[in-house]
Amino acid sequence: MAVTQDGSTGVDRRGLLVSKTWLQAVALVVLLGFAVLGLLAYRTYTAEPPIPDRVVGADGRVLFTGKDVSRGQQVFLHNGLMEYGSVFGHGAYLGPDFTDDYLHRAAESVTRQLGGAGAAQGVEQVVRDFQTNRYDQQTKTLTYTREQAVAFDENVAYYVDFFGDPKTDKGLRPKAITDREQVRQLTAFFSWTAWAASAHRPGKDYSYTNNWPPEPLVGNAPTANVVVWSVLSLIALLAGIGALFAAFGRWGDRLGWRGRQADTLSFRSPDAVTLTPAQRATAWFFLVVGLLFLVQTLVGAASEHYRAEVTDFFGFDLAKLLPYNLVRTWHLQLALFWVAASFLAAGIFLAPIIAGREPKRQNVLAYVLLGAVAVVVFGSLIGEALSIHGVFSEPGSFFASQGFEYLDLARVWQVLLTVGLFVWAAILFRGVRGRLRRDHAGNMPWLFFLSALAIPAFYAVGLLAQSGDNFTHADFWRFWVVHLWVEDFLELFTTVMVAYIFVMLGVVRERVAMTVIYLDILLYSAGGVIGTMHHLYFSGEPAEHMALGAFFSAAEVIPLTFLTVEAWSFLQLGARQEAKSATPFPHRWAVMFLVAVGFWNFLGAGIFGFLINLPIVSYYEIGTALTANHGHAAMMGVYGMLAMGLALFCLRYLIPERHWPDRLARLSFWSANLGLLWMCFATLLPVGILQLYESVDSGYHAARTLKYVTNPTNSVFEWLRLPGDIVFIVGGVLPFLWICWLGVRHTLRRGTRTTLEEPEDMLFTDITVPTEDGREREATAAASSSG
Amino acid sequence: MHPLVLLATGYAALLLAAAAALEWLARHTAARSERYRTAGFTYRPDHDLWLCPRDEPLWPYEVDRQHRLVRYRARPSVCNACPVKADCTATHTGREIVRPIDPWPHSEAGRFHRGVSVTLTVLAAAFLVTAIATHHRPPELVVTVPVTALTGWLLWRWARDFLRTPSGFPDTVTVGRNDDGAVDGTDRAPAAVPTRPGPVLVDLIPPSRRRPGTAWGFDRQPAGARYRSTRPGNRRSEEDPQ
Repeated sequence: MAVTQDGSTGVDRRGLLVSKTWLQAVALVVLLGFAVLGLLAYRTYTAEPPIPDRVVGADGRVLFTGKDVSRGQQVFLHNGLMEYGSVFGHGAYLGPDFTDDYLHRAAESVTRQLGGAGAAQGVEQVVRDFQTNRYDQQTKTLTYTREQAVAFDENVAYYVDFFGDPKTDKGLRPKAITDREQVRQLTAFFSWTAWAASAHRPGKDYSYTNNWPPEPLVGNAPTANVVVWSVLSLIALLAGIGALFAAFGRWGDRLGWRGRQADTLSFRSPDAVTLTPAQRATAWFFLVVGLLFLVQTLVGAASEHYRAEVTDFFGFDLAKLLPYNLVRTWHLQLALFWVAASFLAAGIFLAPIIAGREPKRQNVLAYVLLGAVAVVVFGSLIGEALSIHGVFSEPGSFFASQGFEYLDLARVWQVLLTVGLFVWAAILFRGVRGRLRRDHAGNMPWLFFLSALAIPAFYAVGLLAQSGDNFTHADFWRFWVVHLWVEDFLELFTTVMVAYIFVMLGVVRERVAMTVIYLDILLYSAGGVIGTMHHLYFSGEPAEHMALGAFFSAAEVIPLTFLTVEAWSFLQLGARQEAKSATPFPHRWAVMFLVAVGFWNFLGAGIFGFLINLPIVSYYEIGTALTANHGHAAMMGVYGMLAMGLALFCLRYLIPERHWPDRLARLSFWSANLGLLWMCFATLLPVGILQLYESVDSGYHAARTLKYVTNPTNSVFEWLRLPGDIVFIVGGVLPFLWICWLGVRHTLRRGTRTTLEEPEDMLFTDITVPTEDGREREATAAASSSG
Repeated sequence: MHPLVLLATGYAALLLAAAAALEWLARHTAARSERYRTAGFTYRPDHDLWLCPRDEPLWPYEVDRQHRLVRYRARPSVCNACPVKADCTATHTGREIVRPIDPWPHSEAGRFHRGVSVTLTVLAAAFLVTAIATHHRPPELVVTVPVTALTGWLLWRWARDFLRTPSGFPDTVTVGRNDDGAVDGTDRAPAAVPTRPGPVLVDLIPPSRRRPGTAWGFDRQPAGARYRSTRPGNRRSEEDPQ
């Protein structure tokens, strides 16, 4: 293990444990990926559908202005309508897709005005009317035909009725939006999105949204790009998998996974591990995690109920208080909050183990962070409720919730959350600073810190999406958060943490763990950075976003398949109990949760994700239940299970041995996994397949109507979920919450020792080496930890 | 024929296929996991020994009933003289390698994956039973009953050994501690690990080497003319050191 002298400070810095090629490869891939993404960002701004200064009818009458479109978008977002229906396919799935809804209604209206569907010339005229791009760059004026102007007025009247409905049989709160002017602006926004979806790009024969949604009345059908890039990405996937397996077969040995002897380890009993003050503070974090998880599942059950029975909640009119969009907003936001809180706490817990010591008052900082997180969580949730109930009259205010799906929280909370995450990264830095000085920048302590720093950094990118901006580029930045942040950098941080835990438990050696991490970064970045564009096929970005997104995200599936199979096996290494330890392996269930992560990564992210990845599939599927299928299996299956596993790992040391409820941990593990499995296969997958069929067969519009979504067959499937969901909540979440509570209860006991220094061999002791005659003698710890 | 019948049967068949595929994949990843652990080493089932990357044999020397493993060890003199010993083992008593006794899916992780397959099969059965209960005209039964029979068979096969065999996780040991609950820093000698009665050990010995009257315990494997080096033309004296 090379040690280099750092001349300036005289500190011995441990050299890079793996070959420098890894570092160079990672740097190359990441730089290249972000360079391309930068170019795509530029292209997004230059090629997005323009918002005209004014939209006029054939007679010159101003129908609406550009300002109306922006304001209308804010009305849409701040009333939580993106969590009720969708726009450009993005949002929720109970309500209609408003782009498609406006487009379909307008097309039907124009067809009627031109003589009905029977008149062939009329039908062709409709297509021509919608596809011709009558936007004048010089005057910044868009001209609608006479019929389209009439259709606009009709739609305003329709939406006034729709949103002013005093009944709650759609899932919205009664009289959701009553201000006529706001509804007019809202309709203007829908009209603009419908225009972008049908009018051809200058110089091209497809629309700004690559001809999405599929609408025969305006001649929207899959473009050549959609089909060709689907085929190419599929070929890339197959070729890539083959190439990767071949490479691994040939050079896999060099990766250093060659097994060494399973040295006999002696695990420290959890009671023998003395914790630092900040580690004990994490008990409170985990209690918050448990509570938020419970609430999240309950509001999830409520939103599911709306799908099963939209008109009433067991006789109670829930929509008056908690309409669908509100519970769904809370469901999504809480998912991010409880998972992130668990990661935050686990990071704080691991820091002193990595560093070997803890600076004073680290626990005070941890409590301050917890307080800040609580303020943000409750503030943003309450703010969303107030926004949806129409309390904020000024849509652009700092306190009104922004309403973007996943970035629903108000600006003020988003800024505070970003600051809070940076504070967390600073807490970690403060904790491991000493260790960082003693290690090369490519070794695990630095990987831990840098991946932690990436979390607030990429969350901050979401600040670039403002609710009044052109939806196309706002969505571009939104998906940096939804994809890059969630699927890449959170994934990176969790890989580093899991690898570190395995190193701490003696399952793998540090060098092997680092190889896994670098391989992970390399393969995920190769596909995942540019692959972010697979969310933006039909949001108004030019065709190159779709081409590159499809190609590279298929490329993302290659490492995903491969890595998850490898990771799946890697995680199972931890589940093998072979070591002749005097004390048993204390982390049975934490590691089993990690095995589950490997499984769900493959199924939820890999299989269910690829199912909806190809442009030609997404063209008919976006905004339908197969997306929800992927979302639940991936987010809960990967991140949820991981959060639970990390919590159990930390809680194992927070709860004294004799109070550790092993049976509850087992119950929680099996119930959570089987409940999620049931949810996906009993309801989400079959409903999704049926809806996709309907979309291709009867039309996208038909598949998104409330009538279809709540039809009797779908209702049966939604109710079929009930046993699985009950198992998940009662068997999975409640025992987990109880274990979190035990963590706090036993931390409150006075007189428990804490320490600011941790021994080198904190979690497992010196390796005992059996001698020839059967007696065991202690080997030195140094020999055991050598690379 | 009601379309629901076809849909339900088709979806149930899809679930069964998914369960079978996941079962195969999980077994595959468990095997990969095994290969990581034993990378470079080859198991010879007919001789019940392992060959190291340098073609040296590792003999079975111990059965660990608690962890349900057989432990194999190479000859210390051979290992200590090996040029690549540093890459392989740190001990002076010969490289050790373990082999789990129970077949798939009796590892903890294996049981998880088997649980997944069983649940999917149960779900398929639920769909089929609902379909039969609601539509049971003869032409419909012709479609649903065979698939249901297949489902039932798979369920019985998979659930049977899942339920029959324990996970094999070693019993937790309660470490002794002071009365007031405080624990001092040193590890106490743990209480004797209770060994659970396992299957009759004679099952572990391959038929070719079963001899009446002997049992595996913590005895050394008798030295053997049986355990010659498998490499032809490179014989050395074969007494196993004790």
